[in-house]
Amino acid sequence: MDSKLIAIIQAEDPARRDTALKLACQELSLDDLLSECALLDEFRRKEDNLYPRVRALFFLYAIHRYHLPPKLSDSQIGRIPFAGYELLLKRRFQEAIDTFLGAMADEGPGDALSSALASAYHQLAFQTLADQVRKSVRTVRGNQWMFRMGHPDDQPLRIRKELLATSTDGAHPILRERTPVRMDLSHSGWSDIFFLGMDFPEGAKVLNVSVDLGVHGRDDNTRPPVEAYLRIIDEPVIRLTSVDLKATATIDSLGEVFDFAKDYLGLLKAAVIAAGVVPPGIEGSGKDLSTLLNRLVGEGKGIELVSSVNDIPKGSRLAVSTNLLAALIGALMRATGQTESLTGPLLENERRIVLARAILGEWIGGSGGGWQDSGGVWPGIKLITGQPATETDPEHGISRGRLMPSHHVFDESEIPASARQALQDSLVLVHGGMAQNVGPILEMVTEKYLLRSASEWTGRQEALALLDDLITALKQGDIKALGDATTRNFYGPIQTIIPWATNLFTETLIAQAREHFGEDFWGFWMLGGMSGGGMGFIFAPHRKAEAQEKMQEIMTAAKARFNHALPFAMEPVVYDFSINPHGTSADLPGPESLPASYHQIHGETNPPDSTDDTQSKDDGSSLKDLLRDNGFDELLHEEVRRDLLSGRIGLAQNRLPVSAVIEDVHPEDIVDLSQLHPADEDPAWIDVTKRGVAALVGGEIAVVSLAAGAGSRWTGGAGTCKALNPFAPLDGSYRTFIETHLAKSRKTGHAAGTPIPHLFTTSYLTHEPTAAFLDAADNYNYPGPLLLSRGQSVGLRMVPTERDLRFAWEETAQQQLDEQQQKVKESLHTALIGWSKSTGEASDYTNNLPLQCLHPVGHFFEIPNLLLNGTLRGLLTERPQLKTLLLHNIDTLGANVDPTLLGLHLDSGKALTFEVITRRLEDRGGGLARVDGHPRLVEGLAMPREDAEFKLSYYNSMTTWIDIDQLLSIFSLTREDILAHDLEKISTGIHAIAARLPTYLTLKEVKKRWGHGQEDVFPVTQFEKLWGDMTIFPDVDCGFVVVPRLRGQQLKDPAQLDAWLRDGSADYIRSLCSWS
Amino acid sequence: MVPTKAVLTAANPAEQHLPLQTITDANGETKTALQIILEDLFAAGLESVAIVIAPGSEEAYLRAAGPHADKLVFIEQATPKGYGHAVWLARDYVGSNPFVLLVGDHLYLSHSGISCVSQLVEMAKQHDTCVSAVQPTHESQLHLYGTVGVTRIPGDKTASEINTIIEKPTPTRAEQDLIVPGLRHGNYLCFFGIHVLHGKVMELLDQQLSSLADNETLGLTPTLAELANSERYLAIELDGTRFNLGERYGLLRAQIALGLAGPHRDEILTSLIELLAAKK
Repeated sequence: MDSKLIAIIQAEDPARRDTALKLACQELSLDDLLSECALLDEFRRKEDNLYPRVRALFFLYAIHRYHLPPKLSDSQIGRIPFAGYELLLKRRFQEAIDTFLGAMADEGPGDALSSALASAYHQLAFQTLADQVRKSVRTVRGNQWMFRMGHPDDQPLRIRKELLATSTDGAHPILRERTPVRMDLSHSGWSDIFFLGMDFPEGAKVLNVSVDLGVHGRDDNTRPPVEAYLRIIDEPVIRLTSVDLKATATIDSLGEVFDFAKDYLGLLKAAVIAAGVVPPGIEGSGKDLSTLLNRLVGEGKGIELVSSVNDIPKGSRLAVSTNLLAALIGALMRATGQTESLTGPLLENERRIVLARAILGEWIGGSGGGWQDSGGVWPGIKLITGQPATETDPEHGISRGRLMPSHHVFDESEIPASARQALQDSLVLVHGGMAQNVGPILEMVTEKYLLRSASEWTGRQEALALLDDLITALKQGDIKALGDATTRNFYGPIQTIIPWATNLFTETLIAQAREHFGEDFWGFWMLGGMSGGGMGFIFAPHRKAEAQEKMQEIMTAAKARFNHALPFAMEPVVYDFSINPHGTSADLPGPESLPASYHQIHGETNPPDSTDDTQSKDDGSSLKDLLRDNGFDELLHEEVRRDLLSGRIGLAQNRLPVSAVIEDVHPEDIVDLSQLHPADEDPAWIDVTKRGVAALVGGEIAVVSLAAGAGSRWTGGAGTCKALNPFAPLDGSYRTFIETHLAKSRKTGHAAGTPIPHLFTTSYLTHEPTAAFLDAADNYNYPGPLLLSRGQSVGLRMVPTERDLRFAWEETAQQQLDEQQQKVKESLHTALIGWSKSTGEASDYTNNLPLQCLHPVGHFFEIPNLLLNGTLRGLLTERPQLKTLLLHNIDTLGANVDPTLLGLHLDSGKALTFEVITRRLEDRGGGLARVDGHPRLVEGLAMPREDAEFKLSYYNSMTTWIDIDQLLSIFSLTREDILAHDLEKISTGIHAIAARLPTYLTLKEVKKRWGHGQEDVFPVTQFEKLWGDMTIFPDVDCGFVVVPRLRGQQLKDPAQLDAWLRDGSADYIRSLCSWS
Repeated sequence: MVPTKAVLTAANPAEQHLPLQTITDANGETKTALQIILEDLFAAGLESVAIVIAPGSEEAYLRAAGPHADKLVFIEQATPKGYGHAVWLARDYVGSNPFVLLVGDHLYLSHSGISCVSQLVEMAKQHDTCVSAVQPTHESQLHLYGTVGVTRIPGDKTASEINTIIEKPTPTRAEQDLIVPGLRHGNYLCFFGIHVLHGKVMELLDQQLSSLADNETLGLTPTLAELANSERYLAIELDGTRFNLGERYGLLRAQIALGLAGPHRDEILTSLIELLAAKK
């Protein structure tokens, strides 16, 4: 059979080649799709050329992720073989795919298997791309020799003799490299991502400006913010110092040069390697650094390297770190004779080598940006463009474009001085302060490009056309037109390709700038991968000075408003900037030129976690106060510590005994409503639905949304309130999780004619912000009772034990990373184990903001809290007919009071009805199982073996229908006890149940912020009791119902959002909501 | 182009003693290194040799030259102003004629029975152009030599046209500009130390010297690079090995190579094996 999809990939005609996959798949049946998959898989295995191979991989991914699942029937689930999952974790993608395909051949296609195949194809595609970029970086001429050099005696470089000269006091001269940073006026739809440039060189275009910076109000002048200092020292070591991070290290072994995460000096180490001073080829040789230095510098001598970025905050979207890497590499190359001159600017071919080495350095250091990031090395304003691979390029025959772009620096005949001045006179450059992770965005861009999704592909063409408008406006010095073009770019192509490039914070700033400055606000300009951090606002020149002050005010106010809802790394700042006409340049400035803080640093020691000085006492409340006010149980805490140290509790002890028999549930253990139809279409459920509707009309139900947590995965441990996060634009506005849940209850209540009471449980972390937020939003005009139930207990996080860290990292299956990133991760793990031991295992974790030191004690307590804090009493008083509670997680967006499910629960007479969904690869963390013959929910932490989870068909969505009276009886309570608020009796009842529940020890990642936008992530130990364990009691009558995936799936990571928008999930949620 | 004259530079104060070292040649006869070099030169058909020396060393060189002393001209370099300057001092001796240029601190051992100098002179005659001997050299040694970028001449296994010459390049630069097809990875064509040049080189050196500051020295490479830009200039891969007498154990290596190349090969090998077998 001929493949329609392979024909698209191989088409010569661009119009056919650019056909969107979605369009091509529209007409295909399930069998057609499966045949296409088989042919595509065969094709990509045989194909040598990178582009068709990768595009076929992305087609396979998208078919399994988006196009096959809707065509599968309910019974087609397919179990994911654990062996395949393990192979995925080990990055053995090819074998994993073979394993999954084998399972599919045996059992037929299924939703779960497709999710596993989608993940494997997706990862293999990106791995293939990463491998090619890595290969290209290695094969750039000028870089190759560094991978061949494996012995110190082969070191071909020698330090320039000018640097070996000594002054009268015996000191050697200092070489200083000063480099501007870059800002991009347009990246033409992220076209500088390596793979886009290498596949679509014609479309890879970036308008890039080198700028000097100062922080407005702090610095007197602008200057190249990036500086690297180098000098020879009379000791056979490499001494590295980062002035901004206040870190220094003296390196005397080769192994340490390659140990990137040991300290904050990974970037400097990457520069030392990428510059060829300690070439990458020598890693693992077991040779001495001193021998290498002897050959390079001379007997008994070494190198000192110092970096400074003038306290420019991290995440500025000005590529500060890449340009710092380039500056360090430049200084090292000059010092070792790899450039024509020791001082002054670089020659064009030298700049290109610095660029290639910076790309190499980023790969070595486990990070990576686009190819425009080293733009500061070049002078002024330049157009950087992708280039087709020619016969002399190593990429020839592999990809259409080559890795290295070309740079056209505009001279003054093209962009006159007056136009450059006009840009400086109108642009207000800022850092909004948001902490952003651009990584997922770059992946999304690549994926959409390869799938040629129709609107995104059109957006890409528009972005290219807009670049021409931008260049024309710039050449004419028409900054108003420039602002118009950057704004059109932001609201047009950029957001068409990636809707997540903007956010509520950015939109608020733009709206307020427009409101205040009216016609004099000429436009918005997004810098880099996404907005919220580095941004530009363009104003009429006569109002620029005013705008600099006003934007600071607007940003500060907006940050205060969204501080608990969005992740901020720092206070917003406004920059002063000027265009740098030189690019990177070096001089020999004399010994007094080293930054003042260099000397302070060398008077101090720097343990890895030495950043206390940046930690203020937060919002005025001390840790002690917080513990006291939030029900901290000191006796329990000490008991946990004792048990932890003695090994009675720990990650390994969370598990059920190995002898426990874990099986999948039997059909009689569940009710399958996975294809829930409206009652009028499915007669089997009419009566049940009627019962649910009656309960709704009668006001017998309330909703409880769990909103006590920070959503660690959502903001990477940033400690914001997930419930308040305006996560996505739905029906024209950014919606928070809270608003979305209320909108569902509003719609259901409205249909029933009886508003539904809606409760949000809160904690020490989320209560005040949530209350304030709802107050400011006027409760979103919710018609029914809207209540907050404050948490009644809190734990204090502890420094983890080495035993638990090793268990988590070494004894459980871990996702292995790409080669270099894995090395960095392992180095970090070693450093963190060292931190745990030096700080004290199981000691209190207090070296952070007080709120970041506390932890909630598990969602089991959320329902008991309703009893303890009087919320349930209030509800029962207001509506005595209340009979049922619907409990769900904040991120289970599809959960609502569905009348059929409610009726089913009521009919069943169960105390608790738990909703489960069919499992996909990403649904890790336990599920519904028969444990020793008893159906119950099992937490992932409790699985005695990791493969046990893969035998289970259903994943726990946590959504629970609760019969209030039966629940109270579990706690040996009655409605009367609640209404009487008999606290002693309530506490006793709760404690009796809590004591019977297992306590899980967990490791959580917590962010610690310091310096200028710097963030460290530490693993900390906390303990919790979990709601799902209510199913372990034989005397609690629990039911389990299988619900549609769209209802039960959870939104845990912002990286899921794009797929969520595309796979119908967002539309489903919209259909459940009424916003006003 | 048929050279009849040669210029041998031996004025570097640190290396001026090297040609005077005694060594046993391939036939087992004890000679000075200078004598061996001169024998090769005169065997190649040259008529006289100018040696550029440091002041006051003429007598020692005369003694070391043995039977060839009467064909020598001595030119003193009063101040060490670089290799290019040393060559330039021989301008009057050379005139407009082609000449062989080589350094006094190296010995060259042919593998073909025809001396390295003879091979190169033959190439100059054959191609009627300036030629320099080159040898594939590992990148770790690039910091010692002038290195050339070439275009291979189709059908010719030894001669290539020189496009670029860079003095002591880093491999970073060499990879960009000096890669030669057919050589192993990480190997480049570096000067061997023997050249056949003509009088124009002296003119070019003269121009370079006129713009030289007092504290600067003049190398030969910039002049050769200019030569390559202005006319056809060939690199010749010779069938031989060069020995730098000035590097550590350089003289020893040269001695062993000479010994192994002659009739006493077995004797030398036996001695080496005995040495290797002996306990430390």
